[in-house]
Amino acid sequence: MPATPQQLSPVEEQEKLLDEALGVVKVQAFQLKRCLDKNKLMDALKHASAMLAELRTSLLSPKSYYELYMAITDELRHMELYLLDEFQKGRKVADLYELVQYAGNIVPRLYLLITVGLVYIKSNSGLKRDILNDLVEMCRGVQHPLRGLFLRNYLLQCTRNVLPDIAETENDDGDGNVRDSINFVLMNFAEMNKLWVRMQHQGHSREKQNREKEREELRILVGTNLVRLSQLESVTMEKYQKTVLPGILEQVVSCRDAIAQEYLMECIIQVFPDEFHLQTLNPFLKSCAELEAGVNVKNIVISLMERLAAFSQRSEGVGDSGRNDQGSPTCLPPDVQLFEVFSDQVASIIANRQDLPAEDMVSLEVALVNLAHKCYPDRVDYVDKVMQNSIEVFKRLGLEKFELNTLVAKELQKLLKIPIDNYNNLLTVLKLQHYAPLMQHLDYYGRKLLSIYILNNALDSETLITTQEQVEQALNLVKTLVSDQSDQPKGEVDLEELAEEQGLLARFIHQFKSTSADQQYLVLSAARKILGVGGPLRIKHTLPPLIFQAYQLAYKYKDLKKEDDMWEKKCQKIFQFTHSTISALVKAELAELPLRLFLQGALAINQIGFDNHETVAYEFLSQAFSLYEDEISDSKAQLAAITLIVGTLEQISCFGEENAEPLRTQCALAASKLLKKPDQCRGVATCSHLFWSGKSLASNREETHDGKRVVECLKKGLRIAKQCMDVSVQVQLYVELLNHYIYFYEKGNDQISVQILNQVIGKIKEELPNLDSSDETDQITKHFNNTLEHLRSRIENPDSDVISYEGLEI
Amino acid sequence: MATRKKVLLKVIILGDSGVGKTSLMNQYVNKKFSNQYKATIGADFLTKEVIVDDRIVTMQIWDTAGQERFQSLGVAFYRGADCCVLVFDVTAPNTFKSLDSWRDEFLIQASPREPENFPFVLLGNKVDLEPRAISSKRAQQWCQSKNGIPYFETSAKEALNVEQAFQSIARNALTQQNQTVDLYNEFPDQIKLTNTTNRNSNGDSCAC
Repeated sequence: MPATPQQLSPVEEQEKLLDEALGVVKVQAFQLKRCLDKNKLMDALKHASAMLAELRTSLLSPKSYYELYMAITDELRHMELYLLDEFQKGRKVADLYELVQYAGNIVPRLYLLITVGLVYIKSNSGLKRDILNDLVEMCRGVQHPLRGLFLRNYLLQCTRNVLPDIAETENDDGDGNVRDSINFVLMNFAEMNKLWVRMQHQGHSREKQNREKEREELRILVGTNLVRLSQLESVTMEKYQKTVLPGILEQVVSCRDAIAQEYLMECIIQVFPDEFHLQTLNPFLKSCAELEAGVNVKNIVISLMERLAAFSQRSEGVGDSGRNDQGSPTCLPPDVQLFEVFSDQVASIIANRQDLPAEDMVSLEVALVNLAHKCYPDRVDYVDKVMQNSIEVFKRLGLEKFELNTLVAKELQKLLKIPIDNYNNLLTVLKLQHYAPLMQHLDYYGRKLLSIYILNNALDSETLITTQEQVEQALNLVKTLVSDQSDQPKGEVDLEELAEEQGLLARFIHQFKSTSADQQYLVLSAARKILGVGGPLRIKHTLPPLIFQAYQLAYKYKDLKKEDDMWEKKCQKIFQFTHSTISALVKAELAELPLRLFLQGALAINQIGFDNHETVAYEFLSQAFSLYEDEISDSKAQLAAITLIVGTLEQISCFGEENAEPLRTQCALAASKLLKKPDQCRGVATCSHLFWSGKSLASNREETHDGKRVVECLKKGLRIAKQCMDVSVQVQLYVELLNHYIYFYEKGNDQISVQILNQVIGKIKEELPNLDSSDETDQITKHFNNTLEHLRSRIENPDSDVISYEGLEI
Repeated sequence: MATRKKVLLKVIILGDSGVGKTSLMNQYVNKKFSNQYKATIGADFLTKEVIVDDRIVTMQIWDTAGQERFQSLGVAFYRGADCCVLVFDVTAPNTFKSLDSWRDEFLIQASPREPENFPFVLLGNKVDLEPRAISSKRAQQWCQSKNGIPYFETSAKEALNVEQAFQSIARNALTQQNQTVDLYNEFPDQIKLTNTTNRNSNGDSCAC
């Protein structure tokens, strides 16, 4: 063995001590059993006593002591079985009960006394009450907290199933009744609690933390008393109300120790059934108010609320219980106003506990809302009441705004999210009148976060907003996203973030859907008014969905034409509405977006065809033209815009010649005035289609088929292409023009001949070999070859007699 | 072999909170059932005498708290167990998912001699309730994957299969104990006559 003593860590030290003790227990237990086998009871008791003496140590931590205690009591049970057997065979118990009291030390003595006492009770009737009283009194002899707690725990464990559990009136002889059991356990509880509380005041103050940890570990021993009481079946509701609960609460309140109070209150909630709690809410909650300042009353009250909420839900699911007239679950006794009781108690706790932090107040409200929701899902007013209470509390305390990420703000977010998550219906949330005002207590960032949460929920649940009022309320709720706020921080705006938020809002706008068309108009107008003040950055996201909604509404009126004689007037109004809405975007110095919206409008007008629609369509198109002329300066954007305008015009058939002609000419003119030659070329080529497939009233809404004008456009295109300095671009344009020629030729334009095609092909063939080899050249070649391939296949498989490619030189 | 006449079996019931551990034990020992929910805190046992293969044995059944926060002193009572009963609620999938961790935790804390052969019994409780979330087949499969643990579907409320389940538990526990009982036949470590008396001296001077 090493001669030098090693320095052991506290954990190793504990392990070593425990191992030593367990070693002794093993040896003594072995001897004990041997003696029992040989029927040497006196010797057996001696070994039992030696084994129990290990429990006299003061060196073990609670957990180690518990392990030792378990090992020893396991062994004692063997002795108990032996003794029971013996006594059933006729051995005198009384002697033994005396005998074990001669053990030298009190700890082993009392363990033995309890063991023998239990055997006595089990094998003799008539003395139960006296023995139980005797044992619980005798245990007072151990005042060392740790040893005393475990000793009394042993008493409690041993007496489980022998505690008299019959009604008071039934039995008053020596075996006792439930009253004796209650007294027995309450006395043991009071003593254990005193020992436990006393631990707090023993030893050095610097070990306070460690002591508190040890006390937390030991709490389970004290709590077992309450378990015992809850296991007594003869404890009726009345007995619980009159005797058991007052007895426990008196001890809890009077011990004035925060750790004990907090644990024991929680313990009461857990071990007794919900049915009992429901009938004793007031005394229990009243005691909560009397607890020490350091006690986290919030947790206790919340724990009770959560348990009862779960209970009412559980009972809902079982059997045929439904709801009564007041909408409360039938499992709740009709005379118990669960919500009111808790609401009052929460209010009084908040009012009376000066030290309660604001976040804890909000946590209480959170639990209250959860309770209301689970027990009374239909009572929106309850939830609203909680919101109102919260506002009042903040007002009373002079609390205005809570900054993001403070504990209060987090709790408040939680509170405000509950109705959203629970109802999954924004319309129900809107019924909460105090929701929006309560939300105002969050700072700008908090409100914005919540607004995003609200929108996401509305989108996920596809909640439709059907009235003007709802639109106003909903947009008011999410106003941090709708317009600038007074408490909004100044500075750079993160455009990406903004686009994401506004995207949500835009999607939400698509859910503004009334059942009736007239109502829908009011809804859109209301939304327009509110969204209009959002500023240039926001309206570019929020107004377009509104405009598209308006176009859809116009189509709807067209469908209603037979039922509503006013439909044409209403359509006009709608297009006035969209016109002014698009103009708002123009004022916000946007160009391409309003241009597209005007064109989209013109298409809708053309299709709906209400009275006077030609003028309106002309107005929309001319607006698009002015935007093109005045606002779009980038050459690429110009080409894109003119292409769109041409495309739109080509689709529109409602113009008489006096309108159609200037518009087409204007397009061709605009195209030829584009800055870059290739753009000009492509522009005029596109315009050529206006004169072919474009329709107007003059052509009876049929395709115009003005072959001459088509060719003029294409010829102009060829001229412009020729002016291009870059040969590669020139060839590319020729190939594109060739395709246009072929298209019109196949469509039957008699102004185009095979000869012209041969000319263009010849030009391309002439220039193509001169191009430097590059990716671009490859593409052009490919495009050209594909075109020729098309022609060849046409020659080989002519599918029409009219068009002949005779004389084509490929 | 000096077999004592009386046999004491230690059985531990484990499982998530609310699966019906206490109810099963109460139904078995006291033939009683209550719909009221009382949470168990800590650990507590009841005893019952049963006859297994013509032998009278005393079964000590430990009911435990499903919620860990209630086991503030740890789980020293796992030690010396002869059988471990795992319980889940057939209507609550989560309670089935926890079975692995309960089993592992038990094997770590109780550290039986041969963990792979230690007897477990699985009870799927609350079969009287609808809708069912864990099929009998799925539970059987789990049992197969764990070396063929016996499986019983029970209802503490309707006393369905409870008796049979505990019979099987008792038998498994007894087999386990018979295999380890010879521990007592080997003589324990040497008895030190010298150093046992003074160990308490570095504690306090309390004579109790």
